Amino acid sequence: MDIRTPIGQSVFMILFSCIVGFGSNLFRSNSIPWIAPKLEISDSISLENETNEPVLTAISLTLAKKLFDDGVLFIDARDDAYFVAGHVKSALKNAFLMELIFTIEATQNKHAPVVVYCGDPGCGDSEDLAYDLQDSGFTKLYVFKGGWLEWSKAGYPSEVGK
Amino acid sequence: MTRYFKVQIVFFFRLIIGIIFIYASIDKISHPAEFAIAIGNYHAVPFGLENMIAMVLPWLELLVGVCLIAGIMVDGAAIMCIVMNIVFIFAISQALARGISIECGCFTVSAETGENIGLQTILRDIGYLIMSFVILYRNEKRLEFFPKPV
Repeated sequence: MDIRTPIGQSVFMILFSCIVGFGSNLFRSNSIPWIAPKLEISDSISLENETNEPVLTAISLTLAKKLFDDGVLFIDARDDAYFVAGHVKSALKNAFLMELIFTIEATQNKHAPVVVYCGDPGCGDSEDLAYDLQDSGFTKLYVFKGGWLEWSKAGYPSEVGK
Repeated sequence: MTRYFKVQIVFFFRLIIGIIFIYASIDKISHPAEFAIAIGNYHAVPFGLENMIAMVLPWLELLVGVCLIAGIMVDGAAIMCIVMNIVFIFAISQALARGISIECGCFTVSAETGENIGLQTILRDIGYLIMSFVILYRNEKRLEFFPKPV
């Protein structure tokens, strides 16, 4: 690496910043983990939270079914083709966030619980959409990590088409 | 006269961009957790890498700012400015295109004093980008100490 060339200087700056950044994180009092922690799956939640404090929790299949039985709104975060092929009964779907928000607000306010799911435990779309909704003011968001894979395997209520 | 003017402009841009980058880095270095959340809000970084970016990026901004002002490795610093501003413009644009309204995390990372992203944020970054290109493609290397101009 020749530090007299522009590219060499750029590489040096990146390496120097990595060493100082990672090194200082080891010794500072307010250090952070190297990788941001993912949502932990919860087996119990309380819907009686009256404070409207933002809640974003990952939930299990059992809890998702309980919320479904309680009439909580489900949002499908997958692509249209997957949604048409099969989805949780009465789930909403819209690729455009603002339109989705308007649709949700037509049926309930932003402090009512919402369950978001996608294809399977490995997909991150439900979590991304949940964070987008949280940024838009929704306060009770539950990410059903098992998604359509676990729901359909369990034979829980579902439907096909739009 | 024109030549003298160009040298002054380049040095003025170096000062402006340098001060902005140093200022932008200080709050982020002090509050890495809050900065990591601000990065995460853009939903443009996979695998939880926002924490590693939050550790490194502020120090890179600080180093680039110091180098531009001090006249050290100005070419490399200008390249890093261009790359960072392109990344910032892309991150803000994709968030706006998806319709999410979030704190910029550009200069401060606290929710009370932070500004929301918008068209003005993109235009500002485009302005910084143009200044960075002017610095990179300068004709004369005045007030630069390393590497020594030939």
